[in-house]
Amino acid sequence: MPAHFIHETDFREFLKSLIASKPVIGPVVEPKSTGDKFIFDDVTSAEQLRLDYDVSLVPPKAVFFPPVQKLLEFGPNGVKSCINPREQVLLGVHFYDVKAFDQLDKLFNDKFPDNNYLANRRATTVIASSVQTVSKHAFWGSFGKDVKAKGHDGFLTKVQGGYVYETFSQKGEALLKHGKFGNASTDQVSAAKRENDAAMDKCQEKVTFTPAEISTKTRASFSNNEMWKELSKDCFSCGSCNIVCPTCYCFDVQDKWGLDQVSGERYRTWDACLTEDFAKVSLGGAGGHENFREAGAQRFRHRAMRKLTYLNEKLGGPACIGCGRCTSACVPNIANPVKIINRIMKG
Amino acid sequence: MSNCGNGCSCNDSAIDNVFLPREAEILRAEQVTASEKHFTLKMKDGKGMDFQPGQIAEVGVFGYGEIPLGFASSPTRTHSFDLVVRTVGRVSTAINKLEKGQSLWVRGPLGSGFNLEEMRGHDVLIVAGGIGLCPTRSLIQYILDRRSEFGKFTLFFGARTPKDQLFTDDLVQWRKTKDVVEYHETVDKGDDSWKGNVGVITTLFAKTKISPDTRVVVCGPPVMYKFVIRELAKLGVPENHVYLDLERRMKCGIGKCGHCQINDKYVCVDGPVFTYSDIKHLEEAFA
Ligand code: SF4
Ligand code: SF4
Ligand code: FES
Repeated sequence: MPAHFIHETDFREFLKSLIASKPVIGPVVEPKSTGDKFIFDDVTSAEQLRLDYDVSLVPPKAVFFPPVQKLLEFGPNGVKSCINPREQVLLGVHFYDVKAFDQLDKLFNDKFPDNNYLANRRATTVIASSVQTVSKHAFWGSFGKDVKAKGHDGFLTKVQGGYVYETFSQKGEALLKHGKFGNASTDQVSAAKRENDAAMDKCQEKVTFTPAEISTKTRASFSNNEMWKELSKDCFSCGSCNIVCPTCYCFDVQDKWGLDQVSGERYRTWDACLTEDFAKVSLGGAGGHENFREAGAQRFRHRAMRKLTYLNEKLGGPACIGCGRCTSACVPNIANPVKIINRIMKG
Repeated sequence: MSNCGNGCSCNDSAIDNVFLPREAEILRAEQVTASEKHFTLKMKDGKGMDFQPGQIAEVGVFGYGEIPLGFASSPTRTHSFDLVVRTVGRVSTAINKLEKGQSLWVRGPLGSGFNLEEMRGHDVLIVAGGIGLCPTRSLIQYILDRRSEFGKFTLFFGARTPKDQLFTDDLVQWRKTKDVVEYHETVDKGDDSWKGNVGVITTLFAKTKISPDTRVVVCGPPVMYKFVIRELAKLGVPENHVYLDLERRMKCGIGKCGHCQINDKYVCVDGPVFTYSDIKHLEEAFA
C-alpha cells in the first residue's frame, strides 16, 4: 500500500479543495455541547473539521444507515424504490469505527444484499484517521485488538509536521490530486506506525480475556438467570446502549402517509432490542400477546449474547469494537461491556 | 417499477431494493371466521410465486405496513396462491378490509420451508393448532396432490371452539376420506352442535397409532409445542424427524432487522421451519 505525506501547512488547502469537489462528512463539534462533544456532519470549511476528536456521540454508521431512512415511495400509480446515493467523502473515521463498518458491510450483504445500505456505502470514500485523543471509556486497545480494520479507502495518521496518508483503493488514491502530497519517507511511515501502536496502550479500560474465551463463557452463561437479573437490575429498557452502538443494526419498518393522503413512504428507523416490545407479537383471537423477551433481564442478556458470542463466527471477531459509547450513554451505568464481561467471566 | 406519481426526487434506479414488493391481485376474498379472511391471489407481473410449503411472504398494504404469512395453498396449484389473515393489529385490519379485485403487495417467498425430500416415502403426521392450520395447509394440499409419494397421512387439528375452525369446506372433505387422510379434530370448548372431541390437541394422540418412523409437522400457538413434543418423544419419534413451524415478530423477512431472532437463529431466513433437533438447545425457542 503506497504511503504519502502532506505537510501540516498544506493540509488546509487540501481540505478546501476536497470540500469544493464533493460533500465531505467529518467529525465536528456538536453545536449544543460546550465544544467537547463531537458528531459526524457535513463539513463546510476546513476549520470545522476536528481530527483531534475523541469519539462521536452518534456512530458514523448513520452516514450509510441513517436513523430514519426512506425505503420506498408509494402513491396512486404504484411504488418505487428510493435508493439514491450521494457521492461523498467520509473523513476522519477512527479505526474502531472502520471495524464496525466492515461488520455492517458483511451483515447487510449476507444472503439478501440490502442496497439501501450498500449503495450509500459504495458511493462513499472512507478515509480513516489516527486516534489523537482517546475517549474515557474506550477499550479497543485490548478487546478484539487482533481484528484488523478493513474496507476503508485511505488512512491519515498525524505525525510530526504533517500527515502520513496510506491509500488502499482507487477511491483513496483519487483524493491525492486535491493536495500537495509527496511520497512518505520510511521514517515517516514508521513514525505513523508508532503513533497508531501507541494509541492502543492509552485506553483506560481494559479487557484481559480473549474474545474466544469470552464467547464460550458468555454462551455457557445463558441460563445463569441470577447473574442476568443482577446485571440488569437497574435497566429501564431505554435502548440507548443500542442506539449509540456502531455495530447495532436492528431496525423497524413503518409506513406513513403524505399530507395528500394518497401517497406516502415506507421507511425504516433504528430499533433497540432492549426496549420492551421488541419481540412482542399480537396473537389475536383469544391469544392476546406473546412477548418472546418479556423480562428486562432477557433483553439485557440478548444484547450481551449478540455483542460477545452470536455473531463472532460470521464476523471473525466480537460484534463489539470497544468504543465505549454505550458506557457513556447508559444513565444507570450498567451497559459497560467491560463490566459485563468481567462479571460473566467471574461466573 | 412504475412511477409512484409523487413528483419526488428519488431516482427510479436499477439498483435492486429488497424491500420492493410485487403487486398481487385478489381473485377471491372470503371471511371464514369472525376474525379470519381467506384470500386467493395472483401475481400481476405474470412471474408467479415459486414457493415451497412452509415458506413465508411479507404481505402488505401501503400506508399500513407488512406482516409475515405462511402460504396456505400448495405450490402444485400454480395458477394462484392462498393466504389467510387474522385480524390482530393495524396491518391485518387494513388487509382484511380488502375485497376481490383489489391488490396486496407481496415480498417472497422467504425463509426455508418443509424438507419434502425427507418426508417423501414416509408416514406424515401434521399437528395444527388454531391458525397453525394455514401454513400447514400448503403441505396438506401438497401431500393430497401427490398422495402416492407418501405413506400414512394423519392430520390433527385443534381449534378453540367449533366457530374458530378454519377451511371448513376442507374439513368436511377430510372427514369423509379416511383412506386418503386420517383426520382427527378437537376443540377446547364445544357448543350445542359439537359432537366431536373436546380437549387439548394432545388428547388426539390416543385416537390413532403413530409409527416411530413418522415425519411430524407441528404448527400452532407458542404454548402448544412443548406438549406435543413430549407426546412425540413418548412415541419414539426421532427429534430430527419433528418439524416445527414457528412464529415470531418479523419486520424485514431477510435476516437483518433482528426482530425474529431465537438466540442466534433468524426465524425469517433459517426458519420458520426448524427440526426439533436443530433448535432444542436454543433456550429462546419455546415459550
Ligand atoms: S442497559 Fe442502560 S442504556 Fe441499555 S437499555 Fe438498560 S438503562 Fe438503557
Ligand atoms: S457494545 Fe458499546 S462498546 Fe461495544 S461497540 Fe457497541 S457501543 Fe461500542
Ligand atoms: S424479520 Fe427481520 S431479521 Fe427476521
